[in-house]
Amino acid sequence: MDFSFAPEEVAFRAELRSFLADALPAWWRGMFVDDERAIPTTRDICRRLAERGWLTMAWPPEFGGSGASVWMQTILREEMWANEEPRGPQYMNLNYIGPLIMRYGSPEQQQRFLPPMARGEVIWCQGFSEPDAGSDLAALATRAEDRGDHFVVDGRKIWTSYADAPADWCLLLVRTNRSAPKHRGISVLLVDMATPGIDVRPIDTLAGPHEFNEVTFDGVVVPRDCLLGAVDEGWQLVVAGLTFERAGIARYARAGRVIEMLVEWANTTGCAADPNVRRKLADLRVRYEAARLLNYRAVSMQAAGVVPTTEASIARIHNGQLEQLVSQVGLELLGPAGQLGADDPWAPLQGAIRRHWARNVPTTIAAGTLEVQKNVVAQRGLGLPRPS
Amino acid sequence: MDLTLSAEQRLLAEAARGFVVRSCPPERARAMVADPIGLDAELWSTMAGLGWAGLPVPDAQGGGGGGILDLAVLCEALGRGPVPSPVLVSTTLAALPILWAGSESQRARWLPALAAGEAIGTMAIVEPGGRDEWDDSKLNGDGALTGTKLLVPWAASADVLVVTTSGGLRLVEPRSGQVAVERHDDLGADPLFEVRLSAAAAEPLGSGATEFQAGVVRRAIDHAAVIQLAYAVGCAERALELAVQHASDRHQFGQPIGSFQAVAHRCVDMLTDLDATRYLAYRAAWALDGSGDTDLEVATALAYGKDALRRIFVHAHQVHGAMGFSTEHDLHLFTRRAKSFELSYGAAARHLDRVADHMGLA
Repeated sequence: MDFSFAPEEVAFRAELRSFLADALPAWWRGMFVDDERAIPTTRDICRRLAERGWLTMAWPPEFGGSGASVWMQTILREEMWANEEPRGPQYMNLNYIGPLIMRYGSPEQQQRFLPPMARGEVIWCQGFSEPDAGSDLAALATRAEDRGDHFVVDGRKIWTSYADAPADWCLLLVRTNRSAPKHRGISVLLVDMATPGIDVRPIDTLAGPHEFNEVTFDGVVVPRDCLLGAVDEGWQLVVAGLTFERAGIARYARAGRVIEMLVEWANTTGCAADPNVRRKLADLRVRYEAARLLNYRAVSMQAAGVVPTTEASIARIHNGQLEQLVSQVGLELLGPAGQLGADDPWAPLQGAIRRHWARNVPTTIAAGTLEVQKNVVAQRGLGLPRPS
Repeated sequence: MDLTLSAEQRLLAEAARGFVVRSCPPERARAMVADPIGLDAELWSTMAGLGWAGLPVPDAQGGGGGGILDLAVLCEALGRGPVPSPVLVSTTLAALPILWAGSESQRARWLPALAAGEAIGTMAIVEPGGRDEWDDSKLNGDGALTGTKLLVPWAASADVLVVTTSGGLRLVEPRSGQVAVERHDDLGADPLFEVRLSAAAAEPLGSGATEFQAGVVRRAIDHAAVIQLAYAVGCAERALELAVQHASDRHQFGQPIGSFQAVAHRCVDMLTDLDATRYLAYRAAWALDGSGDTDLEVATALAYGKDALRRIFVHAHQVHGAMGFSTEHDLHLFTRRAKSFELSYGAAARHLDRVADHMGLA
């Protein structure tokens, strides 16, 4: 065992930090803010990361990546999430949409879709959830009629982040077979969002505007060469994609940054000597360390050539609960002014903790609820019986 | 960064798990719960024969030359018995402090014997009226000690006591006749004793200054606590396995109760806490094997682990229903150990305070 980073890894982290300190504008507070500068900033950062070979450092060399070690990738993820993910929507391209196209796409699809991602020039969204298909995602009803050289798509997707960015492309789950069992009739389409018949309706949230959209497909024509993988066999892509995604987000790193902010705040306001405050902050810190080590365990398995399954779910359960706890305790420490937002001059820490709290209300819901995660661990990790 | 065990450590864990299954069924722990001495001599002699009594003692002193992480891996597996044995205490609270602070002759006298399991050692710290192991000792006296020590683990089996006093550490041989030991009405984990010293012959441990010796005591406590945490991880892992077994076998309302989310999710919560505690314990042990400051790593593991163990065993009992409350079932053997550890070497709050001291709080 070795619980320390190698010198070249430490150096890479320092280099990244200095790059971000220079590249991120002072007003940067991440996505989902009512600020039209946000998306152009993420595009600019992605282009600059691509110039340095950092954007696709996780990708294999044959797809334009540098095949960096999983630990280098981990450091990149940590620094990105600690800084409110400056890659914006494009982190999804890198973490799992690109890798899905590498694994399941035709050579033509790989040549068409991967280079723009690698250059940091394209925004994708994912059309997964529907009004009646959330945790039971395989019950999705958006239909794609097979018309030979093209599909015609009708249906509704919801909670679609970044569709109004605007997104250029959508990784869309559709039902292509209504007589097969629900997991066997799903296909994946790569849909040009400029196609006629697509309507994007933003949905405002507790965290502010631009977080979610409802996307309607009305007779949308999708060429057959935009089918990813085989017809009716899309569910295995979903499973693979969610596995990539679970391992791809270093949420604990953002929690760690918030803890640092709370320490600064406690020092500035003089409450750092209060034993109650000290213990609450120390409790956050030890839970942060627990989450970090469980993520590192999953990464260690990857480094050894093993795919973490239950271990990735356990890490994700810790990450989500940590993020929520950090913001809840943070708000409690800030007192009543903690409820003030970034636009209010009296907001402590420029409203950062309120924003963190609001953004993390759905953390234990998105990409598989906490309960679904626990069911997976119970049944696959512990071998507990399924409900009859 | 690499959070996987080495091939040697995996072999050690496998050997210890095999030993637990073959040689230490729960009946052996059950028999020691209320035993006036608490030592299963046959079991201890087998373990000593495997070289485990001296695992972290250097080769030159007759030990196995292993590290604290190796000892943690061993003790984690032993916790699955739970194996009742003085190995945790005798290594961390006697052999290591004698190695760190003892004179040449003291090392020569005790380390080979402790490493071979021919002698057992322990440390006497807590005194009447004290709060926990971090209190300063009020016991004083040079050649002969008179006074009472409480909660001394394994004292009835011990050949040597490392005794904290206001003037530093002393070695006492309890079989000399001026020492009386009596088992507390303890929880039935490691046997704990009241030790009464009546002008007991005592020699200073080495010649280090009092301040140096206070550091030795703290370091020994940290080693003991991290190793006990690893052992408790093994206890908790077995408690989870028992809970999963029970939830799979036990049918109510026509279904196994483990198919109900309310029950299944408690088991998952146990697993997520257990895994976190395990890796924090490994990191603390790894840090203790290094040369840097270890206060933060140790305190982090103990602060999280002690809280987590409490949560894990609340869930374990809830899943087991009335059966787990009954001592006819094995769960209580693990509960006793986890609770005793939770209360020893400083409660979670003390370790949270240590962590806070490292956070840059003014």
